[in-house]
Amino acid sequence: MPDLDSIIHQPVRLQIMAALNHLGSREQVDFTFLKIKLGLTDGNLGAHLLTLEEAGYIAVQKTFVARKPKTFVAATAAGRRAFEGHVAALTSILKAKDLS
Amino acid sequence: MQLSSEEAARALAAIRASREVMRSAVRAHRGHYHLWLWGVIWIAMALLAEFRGLAGIRLFPWLCAAGIAGSGILGFIQSSQVRAPVDRRFLAVLAVVVLFASLGPLVLHASPDDKALFAYIGLVAMLCYMIAGIWFDLYLLWLGLVIAVLILVGLFVFSAFFWWWIAIFGGGTMILTGCYIRYFWR
Repeated sequence: MPDLDSIIHQPVRLQIMAALNHLGSREQVDFTFLKIKLGLTDGNLGAHLLTLEEAGYIAVQKTFVARKPKTFVAATAAGRRAFEGHVAALTSILKAKDLS
Repeated sequence: MQLSSEEAARALAAIRASREVMRSAVRAHRGHYHLWLWGVIWIAMALLAEFRGLAGIRLFPWLCAAGIAGSGILGFIQSSQVRAPVDRRFLAVLAVVVLFASLGPLVLHASPDDKALFAYIGLVAMLCYMIAGIWFDLYLLWLGLVIAVLILVGLFVFSAFFWWWIAIFGGGTMILTGCYIRYFWR
């Protein structure tokens, strides 16, 4: 049975990883765009992204677009594996309940 | 870490909700605007050739230039939200394909008629779609293959109606594919 991931399980980080995992493997999403889509604040999103980045689950790239600073975020391969393992663990808990 | 089944169900519901939010956002970046733009350009080129003859065909480079500029602007706007880093190797492959394809008629000393030349350029464009499909997203492979076959059928089987054929089955297929991606994809 796959293990639950305590870093991903935090509700906001779960939202972030679910959103990033939905992107293609080469795609990155803009910080502001992600913040608006998930209904978060700058500080809240920034803090959770830092935790995920330190765990190696996401990659953050800072760049300039039309001379304005932009931050792009993407899930790493390790992050995708960890997220999929977490989802499998959640699903197996529900299946175990159905069987009992 | 232990969870009850209720907590697991709530977490899975939160994941589904988050995916749904991103789904609509990502859908806007799947290329349908580009397909609509180029579908309209193909239809415009075909109808110009049908009704204006050589004068219409002389406008093709301008329409293509407008399409390339439009795609560039669309790409720039879209990349401010969701983007994929530029793949230089892919661009190099496309450049080589276009360069060598443009040498083809010169090497063969060919001076094809307007329909054959349009079909040839259209096939090269579809080759680029298919390479992009192999590289990034399979739907482009199938789209390129289908339109390439339609171009050949139009050229060799329905030559008398070639421009109408290109407008309906070339431009039309691109627009319909764009609609499918926009409204039904995932």
